[in-house]
Amino acid sequence: MKRFMAIVLFLIAGLSGFAQSQLPPIDKSPLDISYYPDNYPVLKIQDKVEGPLMARVIYSRPQKNERIIFGNLIEYGKVWRLGANEATEVEFYVPVKINNVKIKKGRYSIFAIPNSDKWTLIINRENDTWGSFRYDLKKDIVRMEVPVQKQTEIAESFSLVFEKTKLGFNLAALWDDVKVTMPVYLQ
Amino acid sequence: MKILPKFFSALCIVYVIVLLGACTQNKNDNASVTLKDSLKLPEGNEYATTDQSPMDISYFPKEFPQNKMSGTLLLQAPVARVIYSRPHKKGRPIFGIDEKNLCPYGKPWRLGANESTEIEFFMPVVINGKNVNAGRYVMYCIPHADKWIVVLNSNIDSWGLQIDPSKDILQAEVPVQKHIPALEDFTIVFESAGYGADLIMAWDEVKVSLPVTFSK
Repeated sequence: MKRFMAIVLFLIAGLSGFAQSQLPPIDKSPLDISYYPDNYPVLKIQDKVEGPLMARVIYSRPQKNERIIFGNLIEYGKVWRLGANEATEVEFYVPVKINNVKIKKGRYSIFAIPNSDKWTLIINRENDTWGSFRYDLKKDIVRMEVPVQKQTEIAESFSLVFEKTKLGFNLAALWDDVKVTMPVYLQ
Repeated sequence: MKILPKFFSALCIVYVIVLLGACTQNKNDNASVTLKDSLKLPEGNEYATTDQSPMDISYFPKEFPQNKMSGTLLLQAPVARVIYSRPHKKGRPIFGIDEKNLCPYGKPWRLGANESTEIEFFMPVVINGKNVNAGRYVMYCIPHADKWIVVLNSNIDSWGLQIDPSKDILQAEVPVQKHIPALEDFTIVFESAGYGADLIMAWDEVKVSLPVTFSK
């Protein structure tokens, strides 16, 4: 029996070599940044920047993992942090206009209330917060209803990207077979 | 009961072979160190593919956003945060004397992957005896065997491979400490200290700690 215990201890000792120390592990839903203009940091070091940095969004990217996302994992009619972990943060480097509301340059949190045919997108001034658990309606800057655009291609990772438009840019959110876009106008 | 020890002996031998195999595998990987940490994962997301080295964010006070929710905060606003990407060791030699290592001694390293690592102070702080204004900075380092030179730079919103030393605003020398066991994922985190906070940077068997002074 002693020998048996020795072997078990040896196996455990070998395995613990793979274990990490107390420093924080990688998140299951990794953080990411999107810029407008798209890919701005790379363009900057290549001297290919044609205009100033106007916006960036910092968000975590949960995976679909064969789950039904909207109406199930993300319930309809409830405030969602538009990502995972920390609340999603959008920063405008120039003054913009969303749904006819003027927005000063700066950092904001962004939330969504998904529904089957339309979403409500919310820009809120409470920063550096986690999730939407303490979302405070009183700190809203603007709300906007946008239609759901069904996609044929499934997005496995939740994605936030900027798209160029004539008068500014769109912030597009994509996950599973759903896409919504929020038009942002330059002031 | 006689069979059981034999069974475990056999299992033990198989286990050792697997472990040795894993080590040999690592050695083969080392022979061809590739700088693939900035690659996108082959996932086929046409909008924004996920990164090989995922991004992460560390606040001081630690886990500020979570604690803000639970209402246990002593401070009303965060003091600082770091946004960085986290490459994995994946059996490669990380810090060392020559180019076989991912981060050779004496060569500036972006302290992460992808975009330049960004540090933001939400209040004025003191680093290495110098005042640092509230604001956003690029942070990179020059690793050596016994010390790192940690640098703050004003060229923000840039991609990390091309560092512009003409925009350096501060350098601080910090000693290298051993970190055992080796850390698989590059990690930056703040720890509370009497004078403010220590900014811990750790990967593989190396750890450095940059003192940041501020009034809490």
